[in-house]
Amino acid sequence: MAITGLGPHGERAVPANQVGLSDADADAARNRHFSVAVVLHTTMSDWAKEELAGIVATLGRYGAAVVEVIDCAFDIDRQISELRRLAGEPVDAVVSIPIGSSRAADAHRAISTAGKKLLLLDNAPTGMLPGKDYVSVISTDNFGLGQIGAELLAPHVAQGGKIGVLAYGVDFFATHEREIAFRKWMAAHRPDLSLVRGKFADVSQARSATADLLHTNPDLAGLFAVWDVPATGAAAAILDAGKTIPITTVDLGNDVAADLAGGGLIKGIAAQLPYDQGVAAGIATILGLLERQPPPWIALPGLGVTASNVVEAYQVVWRAPAPTALLKARKPRKNTA
Amino acid sequence: MPINNKSYHLIRKWGHVTHGKTRPDDNHWDDRFSPDGRGGTPGTRRGKDKDVRSNADGETAQPRRAAGRPRASESAHGSLAALLNLVRTGEATTRQELENQSELGRAVVTDRLATLLRLGLIEEGELGPAIGGRAPRHVRFRPRMGMILAAVLDHSSLAVGISDLSGRLLAEHHEAVELAAGPEPVVQRLATLFAWMLEEHGSEGGIWGIGLAVPGPVEKPDGQKLFAPALSAFQNWDGFPFVEQLAALVGAPVWARSGVQTMTMGELKSGSGVGLTDMIFVKLGRSISAGVISEGALHRGAQGAAGMIGYTFIEGGNLEAVAGSEALGREARQAAESGRSPYLAEALARAGEVTVTDAGHGAQLGDPFCIDLLGRCGRAVGEVLAPLANLLNPSLIVLGGNVAETGDILLAAVREAVYRQSHPVVTRDLRIVRSQMGGSAGLVGAAQVVAEALFEARFLQGWITLGSPREHPEFKDFLARAAFDTSARPAKPRPPGGPFA
Repeated sequence: MAITGLGPHGERAVPANQVGLSDADADAARNRHFSVAVVLHTTMSDWAKEELAGIVATLGRYGAAVVEVIDCAFDIDRQISELRRLAGEPVDAVVSIPIGSSRAADAHRAISTAGKKLLLLDNAPTGMLPGKDYVSVISTDNFGLGQIGAELLAPHVAQGGKIGVLAYGVDFFATHEREIAFRKWMAAHRPDLSLVRGKFADVSQARSATADLLHTNPDLAGLFAVWDVPATGAAAAILDAGKTIPITTVDLGNDVAADLAGGGLIKGIAAQLPYDQGVAAGIATILGLLERQPPPWIALPGLGVTASNVVEAYQVVWRAPAPTALLKARKPRKNTA
Repeated sequence: MPINNKSYHLIRKWGHVTHGKTRPDDNHWDDRFSPDGRGGTPGTRRGKDKDVRSNADGETAQPRRAAGRPRASESAHGSLAALLNLVRTGEATTRQELENQSELGRAVVTDRLATLLRLGLIEEGELGPAIGGRAPRHVRFRPRMGMILAAVLDHSSLAVGISDLSGRLLAEHHEAVELAAGPEPVVQRLATLFAWMLEEHGSEGGIWGIGLAVPGPVEKPDGQKLFAPALSAFQNWDGFPFVEQLAALVGAPVWARSGVQTMTMGELKSGSGVGLTDMIFVKLGRSISAGVISEGALHRGAQGAAGMIGYTFIEGGNLEAVAGSEALGREARQAAESGRSPYLAEALARAGEVTVTDAGHGAQLGDPFCIDLLGRCGRAVGEVLAPLANLLNPSLIVLGGNVAETGDILLAAVREAVYRQSHPVVTRDLRIVRSQMGGSAGLVGAAQVVAEALFEARFLQGWITLGSPREHPEFKDFLARAAFDTSARPAKPRPPGGPFA
C-alpha cells in the first residue's frame, strides 16, 4: 500500500524497506559497541512490546546495547525528567516517542544538545528540526491509517447518516494526522455524512466521552476511534446505551481483533506493523550514529483489516499464530476447484 | 461559490470569540483615542517620529500629514503603537525604559500603558531589580491575544500552521494536494484545516491575520492598498479572487507572499539566519528562486518579483532547465534505464520511478553517476549565486528545497563555485549551509510576515484603539469590495465530473 501522508515538516516519505545498512556500515557499527536508551509512552501495550522487540533485535544485530528502557506511563512530566536525566548519561543515542507536541520539545532537544543522537517514533514536537534537533522520525503512515479507517467505516453507514470521531485531546501528531485524514476521506467520498467529534485526554475517559457523544447525538450511525484501546471503551459505551453502531479504529490489539472476528461492533482496523517499525528505527539509529544521514521521515504503510483477513493480518502484525477465538471465527475456505 | 458551510460557521464563530471583551467601553472612551487620530496629548515629544513612520516594504507608505494636525507619535494612536512595539520586541519593558526609549513623558506612558492593559495587549509581569528605589514592574506583550494562521501552497502539496502573535508555530500539518482541480477546492480545504487547527489551538482573541505563501511572485498592491487583490501563481487560477475568499471565510486580513520569500523569512527568524541582517535563501526544487534579506529587511523588488534566478541563462539552458528537480529527475531516469547508474537502475526496478531524492541517496552511497550529477548541479547553482554574493555581500547563503536535501556533494559544489568566483572580502566570513527547516520554513515565514505586518507602524495605528486588526477600516473596506467583486463575478463554466459536479 502506498504511503499517502507527508512528514512533520512536509517531507516525502522514504519507505522503511528502502533504508538499509551496507556490510561496511554494519561492520563499523559492530566495532563501536554503541549504547542506546529507549523512551516509550508505555511498555505495557502490545504495540509497544513489538516496537521494542524490533528495536532491540536490530540494535543487537549491529552490536549496539539497549542499556535502558523507560516506561513513561503516558506521563509527559515523567518523560521530560527522564530525558533530562538521560542527557547526562553515557548513552550514544536515544530513541523516543514524544508524548505531546510542544511541551516535550525542550527536553528532547536536551538530548541532541548533549551531543547524543535522537531518533523519534511517530511524532516530531513542533519546532524541532531534522538534522539539527533529531536524526529521523520513524512512523507508520498515520495519514494513511486515517484513510483506511474511513474507507472501512463508510460501507456500514447509510446515506445521510451522522458519524463520530473519538479524538485524542492531547497535542499529538500521529493521532491528529489520523483524524485529519479520516475527515478528508469522508468529505471527499461520503459528503452525505455529517460528522461530530468527541474528545478524551486520557484513555480511561474514552468510555464516558463516547457516552456523552451518544447522549448529544442519539442518531449516531458510525464511529472512528483514533486507536484500539479507546475503541474498546467506545464499544462498551455503545453497548451500555443498548445500541449497535459500527466502529473502525487503528492498531490490531487483541481485544479489537477478537471483536472484529466475532462480528462485534468493530468493523475494520487500520493496523500498524510495530515490529517492522522498530526494525526501521534500529537501522536509522545505527545510520545516525555512523553519521550516515538517514532520511528525516521514514514511514511504513498501514494494513487494512476486516473480518475476512483478520487471522492473516494478526500473523503479519504480531508474528504469532492467531488466538483460538480468531481462528474459530474464520470463515472456511471456499472450494475453488 | 460553493462554501463549506460547516467550516465557514466554525471560523466565523471563533473569529469573533470574546472580541467584545477587549474593546473598551464606549462610555469611557476617551476622545483622544478617536479613530481619526486627533487630540494630541500635551507632553509628547517628537523623537520617535522616524521610527513610527518607518515603512519596511513600501506597501503602506505614510499618508501626507494635513497641516496643523499632530504628528503620528503625538497622537494617541502613534504613541500607543510605539509603546506596544517597544514592549512586544522586548526593547523596553519597564515604565522607565519605555519613557527613555519612546521619549514620551511619564504621564503619557502611564496613560498609554493603562490603555494597552485595558485592551488586553499587554500584561503586568514580575518585578525587576531595584536600583535605588522601588523595584520596577515589567510589562509584557500577550502573544495569545490573537492567533495567526499560515498556509503554504505548492504545486503538489499544501501546508497549514497556527502561531501566536510572536510568530511561533504551535502546530503544523502538510498534505499532498491536487491543484489541477482549480482554486475552489483549495480554499475549502484551507478553511477546513484552519477550522480544525483553531479548535485545537484557538485562543481568546480569535484570528488576527493569515499568511499565505504561493509558488511564484505575488505582485505588490497598487498605491495605498494594503492587500494584493489577486494571485497569478497558478495558470488555471486566472484572476480567481483567492485572497478575497480566504479573507471573507476567515474574517481576517491576508498577507500573501511568494513561497521563497516566506521561506526566507522563516530561515531568518527561526533557522540558520537568526540574528543576521544580510542573507540569501535559495530554493532548489522544481523551480529555482532566491529570497534576499538586506540590512534586516526582505527585498521584494518593484513588482514583488525579486529573486527569479531560475531564469538566469547558463551553459546548457536556464538554471531551472539544468538544475531544477525535474531536469535532474529526467537525467536520473535516463541513467537508470541505460544502466549507467547501477544504484538508480535498482531504484527504478524497485519503485517504478526515480527522483532527485534517489540520486541523493545514490550519491551518498558512492554511485559515480549520482555524484557527478549532483556535482554538476551544485556548480551550476554556485555560478549563478556568485554574482549575487558579490553584489549583496551576504553573511549567509541557505540552500533549501528537495534538491538541496540531496546531501553534501551538492553543497560542496555550490561552495566551491561561489568561493572561486567571489571577491575574497565577500567570502571571508560567508557561510553556505543547507536549510534544516524543510517545509516548515515557509510556514514559519508566513506567520512571521503577518506578525510583522500586524504591528507595522501605520497598520497598527489603524486598529490599535479598536482592539483587533479585524476592525481595521481598510480591512473592512477590502472585505466589502471583495464581497461585491465575488458576487459580481460571473460563474465560470466547469467541465462535468469535477469536484462540484
